[in-house]
Amino acid sequence: MAIAVKLDDLLHDRRMTLTELADKVGMTLANLSILKTGKARAIRFSTLDAICDALGCQPGDLLRFEPAAARKRSASR
Amino acid sequence: MSRSAPSSAVLPIARLALRVLIVVNWLGGAAIAVLLIGMPASQWIRSALKIPSSAEAGGLIIGLHAIAALGLVAIPLNYLVLKRLLEIVETVRASDPFVAANADRLQAIAWALLALQILSVVIGAIAKAIATPAYPIHVDAGFSVTGWLAVLLTFLLARVFAEGALMRDDLEGTV
Repeated sequence: MAIAVKLDDLLHDRRMTLTELADKVGMTLANLSILKTGKARAIRFSTLDAICDALGCQPGDLLRFEPAAARKRSASR
Repeated sequence: MSRSAPSSAVLPIARLALRVLIVVNWLGGAAIAVLLIGMPASQWIRSALKIPSSAEAGGLIIGLHAIAALGLVAIPLNYLVLKRLLEIVETVRASDPFVAANADRLQAIAWALLALQILSVVIGAIAKAIATPAYPIHVDAGFSVTGWLAVLLTFLLARVFAEGALMRDDLEGTV
């Protein structure tokens, strides 16, 4: 998929750990980890809302469209 | 978080019934095999069925032979249906029925049911062809609207399961 999740960068910028974010948004660490590693197939608006609220960011800061990276990933499979 | 439906008596009954039917199916197959092996000794068949030795009776014996052979073909098909059903019941017991494997199992069952319906039509046609007023042959075979509907329904259910499994995969990947 060409949608990349930039949660790692956002957490790094805010000096926040995934566990702290999980506590703030009320999600399990496992689910946040799925999102962070790009393994999620879909994201709920409520999740997006909670993460943006906790990190003080816009949905566009969290998600990025990267067709070249997706092509590279599918070629390596 | 996975939830499971309240337990009911249907699953244990279905498991037991399917296991019994698998055994009955193999016993039926063994009986047909014995009949087929015994058939070349048509004298024995003739005396058992009180058929006089004539040209007409020869055709009757050949027809019965063909019906028994086709009946034997139905045994592995029945087994396939029962075994796949049992596997589906096991996934329901494990509270995980909406998986792609069950869609494949239903598809296999649908093909087996289709083959069984075709066999049934052929067996019915043979029985009709060899039956005479003196020796009427009554076999529970032939064209069955409900049988063909079951085939259609099973193919549709297989598609429903395949779509359901895909939807569940999507749901599981949703955060």
